[in-house]
Amino acid sequence: MTAPDSTVDYDPAGHYDRVTEAWLLLMGDELHYGLFETGAEPLSVATAELTGRMIEAAGLRPGGPSDTAERLRVLDVGCGSGAPACMLATEFNVDVVGITTSRVGVRAARARAADLGVTEVSFEQRDGTDNGFADGEFDLVWVLESSHLMRDRQALVAECARVLRPGGRVVLCDLLRRREIPFVEVRERRADFATLRTAFGDAHMESLEFYATAAEAEGLTVERVDDLTTATLPTFDRWRANAEEHRDAVTALIGADGLDAFVLSCDILEDFWRDGTFGYGLISATKPG
Amino acid sequence: MSISPADIEQTVVAFLTRTNKMRIDFAPDMPLYADGVGLDSLETAELSAVLEDEHGTDPFSTSTMPQTLNDILAFYDTVPAEA
Repeated sequence: MTAPDSTVDYDPAGHYDRVTEAWLLLMGDELHYGLFETGAEPLSVATAELTGRMIEAAGLRPGGPSDTAERLRVLDVGCGSGAPACMLATEFNVDVVGITTSRVGVRAARARAADLGVTEVSFEQRDGTDNGFADGEFDLVWVLESSHLMRDRQALVAECARVLRPGGRVVLCDLLRRREIPFVEVRERRADFATLRTAFGDAHMESLEFYATAAEAEGLTVERVDDLTTATLPTFDRWRANAEEHRDAVTALIGADGLDAFVLSCDILEDFWRDGTFGYGLISATKPG
Repeated sequence: MSISPADIEQTVVAFLTRTNKMRIDFAPDMPLYADGVGLDSLETAELSAVLEDEHGTDPFSTSTMPQTLNDILAFYDTVPAEA
């Protein structure tokens, strides 16, 4: 077996700091999975479709309220490079606060907002499991593909529920664990799991049932639970194609080993998607008024 | 004759150090998982494989998962050393 490499930082913030620029080339501008209807769509269309599914679950409407006093306040937990936050502020006339533990992510998100001239967004370095905001500050909490990088998912859900105003809604989509993985299987497949850790950081997946139960435990009413595993499967083909297309640029950013680990991870995850080990899902819940 | 406890402890400590999991207050009775060292399932699997590679067998492949270094040492206390 390959011994764990202590020279590499698997902590999510450190990992994101190291890989963000390369991931923009590999995963596209939105830095998340795509939702494919036919499987033939470009990645950018599919990632927009996934964002659209989140918007639909959030109940946002184009244009939104025009009166500034009525503008919704949105918390984007794990805001990546700020693309969804800027889009939400622009298209839905809402104020967005994006948080991430990654210093590089905050910098990239602020630069994006400045480039786009979007002023209704702000980005801060904060932890989603202990965000420090006041109770009931937000109308919507948006958690797009970041929860798998947080060790304490119960604390994440608790914090989301706490900062929601009564009647507010949380929407979350992420990678999922679709079955229990016995220790003996983790041991047998440890090389695969270690490759995933090298490529994607110290991730831990939970089931949709876990998130639903956690939300209910925090007093939220679960509205929607969608398993999107099949529709996200073509994402890995697109990521591999991007790796080939941007080989030189990505190698310059994360090295040949980093690129190889990413491509191998696409193969491993695709197998896990197909054999029912991992997948993708979305959940939404409201705080009773 | 059983495998030397000092050798086992050295293997475990070396693993924890290499993976940045070694705590200043680490003690043989400290839990290896949550609320202790904090090993996750992959790290535990890696420790299991390292112990097997270096000592021929490992306690994590038995029916009872060890919870502490003391449990690991107790397992090896019952294992005869290789000739």
